[in-house]
Amino acid sequence: MRNLIRFFIRYSTWILTIIYVVASCCLLFSRNPYQHHLFLTSAGVLGRTVYGAANSVTSYFYLRDINADLQTRNADLELEILKLKHIIKQYENKEYADSVPVDTALQRYNFVLANVINNSINRSHNYITIDKGSLDGLAPEMGVVDQNGVVGIVNVVGPHASRVMSVLNPYLRNSCKIKGQELVGSLVWDGESPLEAVLEELPQHAEFNLGDTVVTSGLSTVFPEGVPVGIVVDAIAEENFRTLRVRLFTDFSTLSTVRIVVDYLSDEIKAVEDDDRQTGSGNKK
Amino acid sequence: MTRTSLYFLLLSIILLLAQGIVFSHVCLFGVAVPFVFIFVPITLPLTLNRNWVITIGFIMGMIVDIFCDTPGVNALAATLMSASRSSILRLYFPHEQDLTDPCPSIKSLGLSVFLRYLVTITLLYSMIAMIADSLTFFNILHIVSGIAGSTILSSALLLALDYLTSTQRREKRL
Repeated sequence: MRNLIRFFIRYSTWILTIIYVVASCCLLFSRNPYQHHLFLTSAGVLGRTVYGAANSVTSYFYLRDINADLQTRNADLELEILKLKHIIKQYENKEYADSVPVDTALQRYNFVLANVINNSINRSHNYITIDKGSLDGLAPEMGVVDQNGVVGIVNVVGPHASRVMSVLNPYLRNSCKIKGQELVGSLVWDGESPLEAVLEELPQHAEFNLGDTVVTSGLSTVFPEGVPVGIVVDAIAEENFRTLRVRLFTDFSTLSTVRIVVDYLSDEIKAVEDDDRQTGSGNKK
Repeated sequence: MTRTSLYFLLLSIILLLAQGIVFSHVCLFGVAVPFVFIFVPITLPLTLNRNWVITIGFIMGMIVDIFCDTPGVNALAATLMSASRSSILRLYFPHEQDLTDPCPSIKSLGLSVFLRYLVTITLLYSMIAMIADSLTFFNILHIVSGIAGSTILSSALLLALDYLTSTQRREKRL
């Protein structure tokens, strides 16, 4: 305490000077309008500079929270984009469906549009996965076509997705004919090229020219009659049948939207055919 | 109350009234303002405690500010001038103990030293007062001319005042 008093006495002149200077400055800056304005302006500039410098330092400490916030916001926006894309796709599908003319002869058929979510063309047995399933009315053995022609047949059906046996699968045999003729053969993939398949078991007397269009025969409930398949590019002569090499209309490498053919008479036809078989076997007995 | 104290009290009242009523309203050539009241802090006895000198300077500056409606300007300048008075005098007259009269004047210091002391201290006062009044160097030429003009004018008046007070005191003694 004594030292403190000694300190005050020793530096009393300086302390007194400082007190008077501070008092004078207070009076100067508070009572004179011009000086007061200048002080406020300068203080504002100084304050902004100091706060700006402090903010540039402290802002780094909040980057983690800001980053987390941005990530959450980004996730929300991505989800929103996916939803909007889905809606746009639905509208595109609807527009596409409206733009495809449906033959009045195909009144017994309906189409379900689906998007291809997986596809293979370079395996020995190729399959396609689509984003529609049993909840959309799909069932096994329904035909699948796109805007160019035949794609395949529904093979396995889940609630929300289905697997389609592609034309590029040797297990699939499809009843086809040359357009304008009634002689029917089986279209099968020989595994050589994803662009071509072969039309087998065509009778020897079948007339054709290279470039003729091959269409579905309509002798099954899978495809309606007249769905384009491809064009004849070559003929291979065999003993009893003719085999034609067909270049497929469908480009399997760019498959995106397909239509599943729903045949309303399918169950009825199958039931009749089963009944007919049972009756036939009963007569034999 | 001693005679010297009474003398300085009377001198202070007269000079403050003169400064407030007359000299603060004089602005020669639009730049030079005479500061006569600083004669008191300048000529206060060197034996007087520095704290008293500073306090007297501050109070006189405050009174002038009240007269002139310039709060703080003269108080600030007079405080700083009073605080630096001894240091400035020591620049020109290092041996204070050799003084015959403790009050700085032409008689005690000689014309040369007193003039230099007076001009320096008046320059300091004018500079602080002018800068505090304008607070910006936007029109620096005006400020410089104001400082120079005020210094010259005030120094001349203070010299005259010193001569006048010295003569009066001499006559009283006689």
